[in-house]
Amino acid sequence: VSAVPQHAPATLLVVEDDPHLAAGVAENLRAEGYTVHHVGDGTDALEWLRRERCELVVLDVMLPTMDGLTVCRTLRKEGNNTPVLFLTARGDPQDRIHGLEAGGDDYLAKPFHLHEFLLRVRAILRRWEWYQSSSASPATAVLRFGGNEVDFRAFRARSFNGVSQELTEKEAMILKVLAEKPGEIVSREDLLERVWGYDVFPSTRTVDNFILRLRKRFEQDPAQPKHFLTVWGVGYRFLLEGEP
Amino acid sequence: MKTTRVFQITALLLVVVSVVTVGWWMIDLRNFVSTTTENAKLQYGHEVSAAQVMLDAGVPGGKVLETLPRVAIEGSAAKPMQSVIAELDAERESRKAQYEWESGFFLLALGVCIAVISRALRAEAQVLQEQDHFLALVSHQFKTPLASLQLSLETMTMRSLSPAEQRPLIDRMLADLARMETLVTRILDSVRLERGRVEFKRQPMDLGAAVSRVVGQLETRSTQQRITIAADVPRGLEVFADPMSVDVVIRNLLENALAAVAPVGGGTVTLSAQRVGGEIELSIRDTGVGFRPTDNVELFKKFSRLHPGGGTSYQGTGLGLFIVRRMMQLEGGRVSAHSEGLGQGAQFVLAWPIAPAEVP
Repeated sequence: VSAVPQHAPATLLVVEDDPHLAAGVAENLRAEGYTVHHVGDGTDALEWLRRERCELVVLDVMLPTMDGLTVCRTLRKEGNNTPVLFLTARGDPQDRIHGLEAGGDDYLAKPFHLHEFLLRVRAILRRWEWYQSSSASPATAVLRFGGNEVDFRAFRARSFNGVSQELTEKEAMILKVLAEKPGEIVSREDLLERVWGYDVFPSTRTVDNFILRLRKRFEQDPAQPKHFLTVWGVGYRFLLEGEP
Repeated sequence: MKTTRVFQITALLLVVVSVVTVGWWMIDLRNFVSTTTENAKLQYGHEVSAAQVMLDAGVPGGKVLETLPRVAIEGSAAKPMQSVIAELDAERESRKAQYEWESGFFLLALGVCIAVISRALRAEAQVLQEQDHFLALVSHQFKTPLASLQLSLETMTMRSLSPAEQRPLIDRMLADLARMETLVTRILDSVRLERGRVEFKRQPMDLGAAVSRVVGQLETRSTQQRITIAADVPRGLEVFADPMSVDVVIRNLLENALAAVAPVGGGTVTLSAQRVGGEIELSIRDTGVGFRPTDNVELFKKFSRLHPGGGTSYQGTGLGLFIVRRMMQLEGGRVSAHSEGLGQGAQFVLAWPIAPAEVP
């Protein structure tokens, strides 16, 4: 791991109550060229994030006064979609799933390998950068299909029946990946890789659940989808016009 | 563990079924006794009627009484004897009372069984839950210094650091190792203490000597952290306690005081002792971060780590004060904590029974 990020250095917030670990993590991130802020507690983290902006939060789960999961849930509820990488002493699959359900982007169990940590940080930032740059122009920021209108920058949508929807970060990203190549088949593995990164989830079933959620939001009849089509055994195909 | 639980639950179910059965028996027997008495009365009525028929047929009263002795004959009329009816009623009442008392006793006994079994079940579930909690906390406590160690080592491997840059990393690693060692010792101590597997050899011992021994061990660290330890414990104050445990208790409280003073950038820890009634009290007062006055009991619970000041964290094992309290309990002494509030410093007071006067 050597490359310094190409654009303006990304700003990261490290939330960790153990001073040694916090110092080690922060020093290494700074050595990679990132700008790093550190707080030692969940309440301070929320306060900081309400005031300032950053590209990624490295969030410990066990924290004094307010735990990391609550911090992440609160952030998402307040509409803050800043990516979160959980660091935690608990590494069993159940805890992993809790972390991702709370709105986290990735999950790393302590003790972790420095190299892997830095790779994951970069992967999250890259995915995020891709999402933002591919939603930058007015043409790519808004997607219209079947009477639905999705605003990728605001994570908001208005569906065909006039109901306004708040999209989660993952829903928006999946939609973005699918809408980049309308009509083409996108495999589940592709979606996993582009939206979550490699081995975060135990199965591709997760992708299916997200597609179901998108259908519920944007299909007139979610049981008979016209836009989010399943290609059996492969993945999904997105149609702008809708299947006749 | 699991089969025991199955047995326990089966036993509980059996007892509950027994309760229902006994209750049903009671009601059934009562009804049976009532019906039987009514039948006996009816039977007696028939006897009286039969006697009347015999009298009407001209059988002499004496002969009738030979066949039907329980009938009263007044002239030519056969009548029921009140004593017979009363006897039947008395029999019924005594049977009923017997059944009620007996089944009541059985129900009580079964009820006690239910209470005992369900209490055991609940206690066991609680122990299991506490063990899970303990394991989760212990693994968390270990993984943090482990992660920090690994991070420091990998940083040194990955980046070419100058000796000056390596120094803080090495210090951090040594501190992490020390933390893990303390953790192991304390976990072992606390488990042994909890199981009561520690034997205290209580004997008269000089408190002042113990204090200067422990203070000596911590002097280097306190000087580094710009903390003055002022110990004013006169020699000759003899407590009746186990010397090992006295050392551990004083050491844990002193380390606690140092950890409380270090975040405020230095200060003083004062130790003083005095005789109060039949006890000797040792006070350890610090000018550190303090705690909320209402937390003075919470402080001594296992894995309780109070984070004074909200933001800064105190790196403890969460076991030190738990061990202190448990040791003092087992030694027949006591410990208490006082603070005026966050940022106000704290005072811990240990009290041991005074050593008995030597037998001449």
